[in-house]
Amino acid sequence: MNTLRATWLLTLRALREIVRQPVNEVGNLVIPLFFFAVTVGAVGRVAERAFGLENFVGFQMPVAVLNASASGTAGLAITQDVMSGYFEKLLLTPAPRFAVVFARVMADGIKAAVLAAVIGGIGLLVGSGFAAGPLGFLLLVAMAGAFGFAFSAFGVAFGLRTGSPQAAQLSFLLFFPLLFLAPAFAPKEIFAPWLRFAATINPVTYVLEGMRSLVLDGWAWAALGRAFAAIGGIGAFTLSLTVWALRSRA
Amino acid sequence: MTAIRAEKLTKQYRRGVLAVDGLDLAVPEGQIFAFLGENGSGKTTTVRMLTTLLRPTSGRAWVAGYDVLERPGDVRRAAGVALQEVGLDDLQTGRELLELQARLFGLSRSEARRRAAELLAVVGLDAHADRRLGTYSGGMRRRLDLAAALVHHPHVLFLDEPTTGLDPRSREHVWEYIRTINRQEGVTVFLTTQYLEEADRLADEVAIIHQGRIVAQGTPEALKSSIGADVLAVEFDGDPALSGRALEALAALPQAAEPRIADGQLYLYVREGARLVPRVVLELEEAGLRPRAITVARPTLDDVFLRITGHHLAASQPAAAPDGAGGATPAGQGAHR
Repeated sequence: MNTLRATWLLTLRALREIVRQPVNEVGNLVIPLFFFAVTVGAVGRVAERAFGLENFVGFQMPVAVLNASASGTAGLAITQDVMSGYFEKLLLTPAPRFAVVFARVMADGIKAAVLAAVIGGIGLLVGSGFAAGPLGFLLLVAMAGAFGFAFSAFGVAFGLRTGSPQAAQLSFLLFFPLLFLAPAFAPKEIFAPWLRFAATINPVTYVLEGMRSLVLDGWAWAALGRAFAAIGGIGAFTLSLTVWALRSRA
Repeated sequence: MTAIRAEKLTKQYRRGVLAVDGLDLAVPEGQIFAFLGENGSGKTTTVRMLTTLLRPTSGRAWVAGYDVLERPGDVRRAAGVALQEVGLDDLQTGRELLELQARLFGLSRSEARRRAAELLAVVGLDAHADRRLGTYSGGMRRRLDLAAALVHHPHVLFLDEPTTGLDPRSREHVWEYIRTINRQEGVTVFLTTQYLEEADRLADEVAIIHQGRIVAQGTPEALKSSIGADVLAVEFDGDPALSGRALEALAALPQAAEPRIADGQLYLYVREGARLVPRVVLELEEAGLRPRAITVARPTLDDVFLRITGHHLAASQPAAAPDGAGGATPAGQGAHR
């Protein structure tokens, strides 16, 4: 069985599951939008004056996109498959074992891209603007998908290693410190030195700045390059972790 | 040709538990082979090793001629597997699950559709094909799981306790289906079971596995004949120790070789048991013992199991204590319950 074919077939199955449980995705969409609205409403005007920003809505919109992108459920879904016995049923087919896991991560990436498109669209409606234009918007959606894909593998690795749904959801908890250690609510330049250092070594900073550059600045190639390098680094780390966890189980 | 072969197959878990202990096995093509044993006897571990889900600690095994360690992909293509836990995805429909399974085995989309429809009809689920699996009953899930194991026309079918938890009607349905695929498609069937009736009625050959080792093997008739005698059971009300006293009282019977006490009953393996009953009654009367019942019967696989292991197989069914705790012991060892 060809790895790509198996991955595609299993990705379609995972997407079908996502579509059949729409309630699960309501939270993944509403919570980032809620924080987006509250943050902009509460400190938007002050932040624009204090930080010298012209467009705090555009500054915050990528935070909501990133937040939604990290809401992958592949780890949880895999542990459910393990507990139901369906995971073993799939391992008994000639499909490469990596494809069985990889497909779930792919589905999370596609889901993240869809959520990013919806949040980006709402951001446009409420005045975020989009400096990089329609192609830039598509790149933001692709970037969100890639980040969702890379980050989702964290949960998969935890889930495979422990078999615990709770552990699989730890990845989402891990995301919040990373988001708060990034310039999510204010530019990095005003941070205290220790926080600036933390933000500098935090890969989420570069993903966020890359997305933000598309919204606020247009095509800033250096920022985009750093963003994709950060996503690549996160993906390499999480997928290696996943392969290790898969070997320990299968 | 041999469909399944194992040589000194062994699995020892990290905690030191020896689940399968140097198992040798050869199952000819086209046979229905039953692996009979209690919970925890090593049946499932054997199936998991033979189907590539578990790596043996030592030993070798081949399925359809392929080495399970060296050619696991070929083993998976050749084998259909329905594990004890029915592994289904509740959010898919029956049709979707079978079609996906077929496509993962390399069938084209149209072939997968055709095969799924065919199998749904065979297992009697065509009317429910487009319902999500979360709404299926236990029997329906088991039948669909069987269908999923057959989607790629396997040479060998592994069924791990295929009827556990099913009602008698569903069990009959599954048995009939297993017979049909064995007869019509020549599929070799390797099934594990803790149900004697299942092994007796379905299998061409039975292996009894006890504590990770095969302790007896043969056709059901040959195994039963191996006892070479009738089974005379003496049953008492109340105190289980009465069986021990009865054994002492009947010790003089020359025919009473290798008796067993299980579940408070005394079992004697005797020739021409019916003719011996008056003497048994007399000896027990003289010892002041009044049995509730004395029965004489032809041996069953349960008697074979009891004689070899000292346990009734029924003692290890799900409702009983783990590891057969509370089961009977060989009378020859002088134990009483």
